[in-house]
Amino acid sequence: MFRYLKPVFAPLTAVALVMSFAGAAHAKVEGDTIILGAALSFTGKYKTNGKHTKNGYELAVKKVNEMGGINVDGKNYKLKVIYYDDESTPARGAQLAERLIKQDGVQYMLGPYSSGLTKAMAPVTEKYKIPMVEGNGASRSLFNKGYKYLFAVLSTSEQYLAEAINLAAQQALAAGKDPSSIKLALAMENDPFSQDIRAGVLDDAQTHSMNVVIDDKLPKELNDMTVTLTKVRALKPDVLVVSGHSKGAATAVRQMMEQKVDVPMFAITHCEAADVVGKFGPGADYTLCATQWAETMTYQDKYFGAAPDYAKLFEKEYGYTPPYQAAESTASVLVWVDALQRANSFDTGKLRDALAATDMQTFYGNIKFDETGKNVAKPMVLRQIQSGQYKVVAPTKWASDKLIHPRPKWSER
Amino acid sequence: MNRRGKTALYVAAAIAALLIPQIPLLQPYLIQFAFLWVMILFAMTWDVMGGQMGYNSFGNIVFFGVGMYATAVVQRDLYFTVEEYASVAGGEQAALTPVEYLIGLALGMGSGAVLAVVIAALLGSGILGLRGHYFAICTLGLGIAAGELASGWDYIGAGSGLVTPLLPDALGERGPFFFYLFLVLAMITFAALKRLYAGQFGLAINAIRDDEDKADALGLHATRYKTVAWCVSGFFLALTGGAFGNLVIFIDPTDVAFAGPTFGVWMVLMAILGGKGTLWGPVIGATVFHVTQEFFWIYLFGWQRVALGLLIVVVVVFFPLGIVGWLRERWPQRFGEVVDEDARRVQVSLEGER
Repeated sequence: MFRYLKPVFAPLTAVALVMSFAGAAHAKVEGDTIILGAALSFTGKYKTNGKHTKNGYELAVKKVNEMGGINVDGKNYKLKVIYYDDESTPARGAQLAERLIKQDGVQYMLGPYSSGLTKAMAPVTEKYKIPMVEGNGASRSLFNKGYKYLFAVLSTSEQYLAEAINLAAQQALAAGKDPSSIKLALAMENDPFSQDIRAGVLDDAQTHSMNVVIDDKLPKELNDMTVTLTKVRALKPDVLVVSGHSKGAATAVRQMMEQKVDVPMFAITHCEAADVVGKFGPGADYTLCATQWAETMTYQDKYFGAAPDYAKLFEKEYGYTPPYQAAESTASVLVWVDALQRANSFDTGKLRDALAATDMQTFYGNIKFDETGKNVAKPMVLRQIQSGQYKVVAPTKWASDKLIHPRPKWSER
Repeated sequence: MNRRGKTALYVAAAIAALLIPQIPLLQPYLIQFAFLWVMILFAMTWDVMGGQMGYNSFGNIVFFGVGMYATAVVQRDLYFTVEEYASVAGGEQAALTPVEYLIGLALGMGSGAVLAVVIAALLGSGILGLRGHYFAICTLGLGIAAGELASGWDYIGAGSGLVTPLLPDALGERGPFFFYLFLVLAMITFAALKRLYAGQFGLAINAIRDDEDKADALGLHATRYKTVAWCVSGFFLALTGGAFGNLVIFIDPTDVAFAGPTFGVWMVLMAILGGKGTLWGPVIGATVFHVTQEFFWIYLFGWQRVALGLLIVVVVVFFPLGIVGWLRERWPQRFGEVVDEDARRVQVSLEGER
């Protein structure tokens, strides 16, 4: 019988040999380098934001290493991140999380881009008890599962556009009208992030008893929303809220401009990441943009100084103004640095506890996690594009300029 | 090789595969292998229609997605209410006991498979009257339509997706569990298809591929056979989908379940790469595809899709019959085809004279 086994074992050994060369470096700490792992969207529908996320991580790694690295247990270590391309699909994301942990031996994870990808990877990191600090998964559904190894530096998605709804209510009151007379139009991409934003907006609308006249689900890869805009023309809502990552932002602003759709208030997410000002110039004016971070804020830390300094450094390095996706990614690395120093150990259990006890200020904002792992120390801000500049208009504490309301009609611009 | 030798070879291959998790060097790669078994299942189930019967189906991903959702929904509804699950899914609060998990998984996969067979039978009796290209175009829309339907249905999570229960700790690590689950599934599928191809069913669908009109004229109920073939394909694909949902944990309607542009296209590619219409072709094609893909992902970072595209072009241009098809043409005797040397010489000399 052995005669027949031969042809089976030959290829099997070959496969085994090949695979052992395929980079099975079991490395959480290699020599004087601490290895972090991340699966990001370098291709596919999230590739713009995947790039912002990577640049954010890389800038932090570079700066921390330049400033002498991290001291753990009396020895200095440099940081390094291993990246894979998740191609913007959750199936690949879960596979890569597994690969980073099991094959590459990564013990310290950084988050992917988008709630969907984070949703796919978090159960895997949780199962292996590997801590993950993320800055780009905002859906509330990530933080009601009792995850113990997931930490998010960003504000959750229901807060993104809450300020816009509040502003609309204030404007109604100021005009002597009842907020319940406001007609709301929603156009949300059909993905975990935007659907969670929708849930948040609906909650807020309910507290003000506002009337939702349009509630559209838009496809992923959002390239056209003419149908929604036609409805907006017909039903004349007071507020139009759109969310759909960078593509959604660009499509919404472009088609509002091209089709000259007038609506008193227009609020979206991802303005900066989509660079709507650079793309559409004055056409993007008066748009309200939800942002996790603004470079005009006054937070600071020892690595990057204040927020404007970070913005300057980032621009010098990568040639564009950092969107908040990059800033929150940088902050995620800073959280790891802080935790490694405080834990003074490479043990994932101790590091998890150190992460849970995080209480720090970064250029990006204050960071302190609640028991579910989300950051509760930092507000969302709302900016309005005025003459091509992003101006903070809410909340009042950070507002630098007054809201221009209602948006001037296209015929009057 | 004689019959006994062949059997010994199969048994040896099966044992070797089952022993992989015992090799320490390969242990970190078990999930990678699980994905490989999934790829093999994709290619094998596609080949029932595309290879053996000559009906290119681009809609098989529907059965995969249906199986996945059916399993996840059964797993959820057995132990939770929809609202309750939405807030705890995927976390510790939703932890199941090993027995609950296995019952849910088995019942779910079973009902997914039954549902897929019903759908294949209904759809098949409707559209399998179409021939060749018309059928292919018709199936192209199915996957997209299914994805859109799933994206809009709140009961199964709509666009926000659905999270499957986590593997209980008592059942061991994810690696070995899913390795064996998919390996056993792939082995059963392989054995079942081998058996089917060897019998009357295999002859019938091959006849349909070779000349449907003649087969029809000889009294073969072509549409009936075609529908059964699609049901077979759908059955195993739904089982794969059900288990796959538990492997990736997060089900996105268009990117994981009804992932036409990735899995839906790959299953066709892998079967063609290995040699469609052969027993081992899909297995070899899927293996080559998966391994090269993983390598491209590491070493050609950012260019992996370009490299994969080039590979496909090279295969289609230089090996239109696929790997096994090419080997078979080179060394027909090895595949049990008898070449009559004298007759061949006569033929060659005749050609020379002409």
